[in-house]
Amino acid sequence: MADLGPSSLSAYLAVASVLFASGVLAAATRRNAIGVLLGLELMLNAAALQFAAYGRFRAAGLDPQGQTAAVFIVVVAAAEAAMALALLFAVYRSSKDIDLEKTRELRS
Amino acid sequence: MIPAWLAPTILLAPLGFAVLALLAPRSRPGLAHAAGAAVMAACTALAVWLAVAVVPHGAAVQGAHVPWLDLGGFVLGLGTYVDPMGAIMTVIVCLLATFVLVYNAWYMHDDEQAARFPWQFCLFVFAMLTVVLADNLFMSFVGWELVGLGSYLLIGFWSHKPAVADDADYQRLKGAGARGILEDRLSPAHAQLKAFVMNRIGDAGFLVGIGALIAAGTLAGGVREPLTWGNIALIAQGGGLPGTFLGLTGADLLTLAALGIFCGAVGKSAQFPLHTWLPDAMQGPTTASSIIHAATMVAAGVFLVARCYPFFTPDALAVVGWIGGITCLLAASIACVQWDLKAVLAYSTVSQLGLMFTALGAGAAAGGQAAGISHLFTHALFKNLLFLCAGAVIHACAGSQDLHRMGGLARRMPITAIASGLAVLAIIGAPFFSGFFSKDAVLAAALMHAEEAGGAAWGPFLLACAGSLLTAAYMVRWWIRIFAGHERDHGICHHAHDPSWYASAVLIALMPFTIMFVWSGWLGHALGAPHGEAHAHAHHSAMMVASTLLLGGAGFAIVAFLLKPGLSEVLARTLRPLHVACAELWGIDRLWDLLFVRGVGAGLGRLAALLDLGSRDRLASLEGAAPFRLRDVLSLDGVIDGIGRACGGIGRAGALLHDGRIGLYLGVAAIVGAAVLLLGVLW
Repeated sequence: MADLGPSSLSAYLAVASVLFASGVLAAATRRNAIGVLLGLELMLNAAALQFAAYGRFRAAGLDPQGQTAAVFIVVVAAAEAAMALALLFAVYRSSKDIDLEKTRELRS
Repeated sequence: MIPAWLAPTILLAPLGFAVLALLAPRSRPGLAHAAGAAVMAACTALAVWLAVAVVPHGAAVQGAHVPWLDLGGFVLGLGTYVDPMGAIMTVIVCLLATFVLVYNAWYMHDDEQAARFPWQFCLFVFAMLTVVLADNLFMSFVGWELVGLGSYLLIGFWSHKPAVADDADYQRLKGAGARGILEDRLSPAHAQLKAFVMNRIGDAGFLVGIGALIAAGTLAGGVREPLTWGNIALIAQGGGLPGTFLGLTGADLLTLAALGIFCGAVGKSAQFPLHTWLPDAMQGPTTASSIIHAATMVAAGVFLVARCYPFFTPDALAVVGWIGGITCLLAASIACVQWDLKAVLAYSTVSQLGLMFTALGAGAAAGGQAAGISHLFTHALFKNLLFLCAGAVIHACAGSQDLHRMGGLARRMPITAIASGLAVLAIIGAPFFSGFFSKDAVLAAALMHAEEAGGAAWGPFLLACAGSLLTAAYMVRWWIRIFAGHERDHGICHHAHDPSWYASAVLIALMPFTIMFVWSGWLGHALGAPHGEAHAHAHHSAMMVASTLLLGGAGFAIVAFLLKPGLSEVLARTLRPLHVACAELWGIDRLWDLLFVRGVGAGLGRLAALLDLGSRDRLASLEGAAPFRLRDVLSLDGVIDGIGRACGGIGRAGALLHDGRIGLYLGVAAIVGAAVLLLGVLW
């Protein structure tokens, strides 16, 4: 059994895995587009957490590259969220709904 | 010098005519018959030219030969090969085809389908000429199968007719006392199928024979084209070929090949036990019967056995002789009690073919080959004449074929009476008639073989003698019942008359061929019959035997059917079990029906039904009612349906990937991604 104490890498990776799995589940099963978007954000954050954890627990000591990557992900996630919300807004305008089961028409 | 185009022209002209006549409009049947007869007459003239060029030299002429299939190591070719036997056969086939077409123009003058006859007939003739003129066994086999097709078409010429049990005309006119016929089955459509299937059984043996010959060719050192007649003779001369094939030595392979070819001949030439199709083939037009029984179909078997004589080993010849002898007596005994005038002729053909095979079984040294073939030739002409006369009689008697109701027709149709009288004298082998000469040769060959080999070799000779005795009896009975005595049924006979002038001319033209001097002398010489003191002695003995049998049989028939008409009934009562056995065709038809139609046929039907288990449920499932079950999968329908279902399923599964469900996309992507990752980690 791996050490899951606050000072071990495994604890961080476990939390990240749970986050990522929750994100996949949410993105795959939610019918509301906002919910899917939340799932995507969860997955991105799980990845960011992993980057930070790996950077912190390098054998050679703290490596700032991990934190850097996490910051990049936060920026990309913000851009992605803005982009996705704009798309959703457009979808809502054309079909008066953001239920993904109902907006399956790929052509308008 | 023979022009190279001669034999191919004779071969292909009937085919060309058949194709043209098939494509031509059917409005002028008379014109089609005339054109067909003209083509066949031209072929006859060319065939006579060919025969005159080939026969005196006694040597075979190999025509142009082209490779057809190169199967890597061995080649199948197409070409023509004419030896004296083949040249005379070609003349007879073309001559009889001409006569029959002319005659048929009269015979079918009020038949709406008459225009169909010439092309089917010429296709049939082309097929037979292919067998006769082919220069290798495989090309013969092709012709052989086409002969089967031609007979199939002609026997079923009136295939719209119902089974005879439901045919009011047939029931009204059929021979009283007709027995042994499975009336609920027999119809032109059934008869053509029966002929085809019985021939298939024989042809399976033919293919085995070809395979055995090819194997013998490899033993002989890989002959490149093992099936040409020349190479077959070379392989057979090798006798003790070195090595074995599948454990069979060269001699075994040659015996197997000979028995295989003979098996094909048993089917095609209607020998016991596959003879049952020929009497049923009487359902076809009488003119078709006249050529099937004479020059084409049944002649093909005898001809091919004679052609393949080089590799018929003594063992194989013994089988040929015995089958021939058994068939000769068996069919003759059945013919004695038939009341349908065509059935008598049908069984007499079977019996005469048995006689030919008896001769062939005697071996070349005893003159068996020449005797069998000369009887084939003389028989072709007088049997053709007999059938054409039978057609005239049936026509004159308003369709009746019942020997009970005829009689005294000689006064009303003298030309037919004389023509059939001559043919009967020929078939029973009366002196000065063609059958005397050839039947004497047959019995002489069988006798000589029996004296040399002794023991069991006497069997075929004695069977052939018994068959000849009965032949004399039933053929004289046949003629007496139709033409002699008083009119038994005035209602049927009162407007009987000879056929029209051109059909009568055909009968008259065929008469000379029943006379001996037309044939004797040159035919045996042309066919290379052996000479010698022993042969002369055998001929004298055979002549005595044949004459005794002739006098006995014919004398009995004259007494029993003309002078003391009550005698035959007394005899039938006294020998009741024998009479019933003959009338029931010795039960062979019924046995085949029981074994194969009801037994194997029904068994296969049940197996097919088993494979087709889901068919009823399938209909339901098409309507979406029946659930999918395991036995549906196992049945043939299940497999085919399953393929359809699988295609649909793959299509639907593929469609899921682009139908706009984002959740599904993500789910699939996640699962696939996880799987890839897992594989990467594990490896």
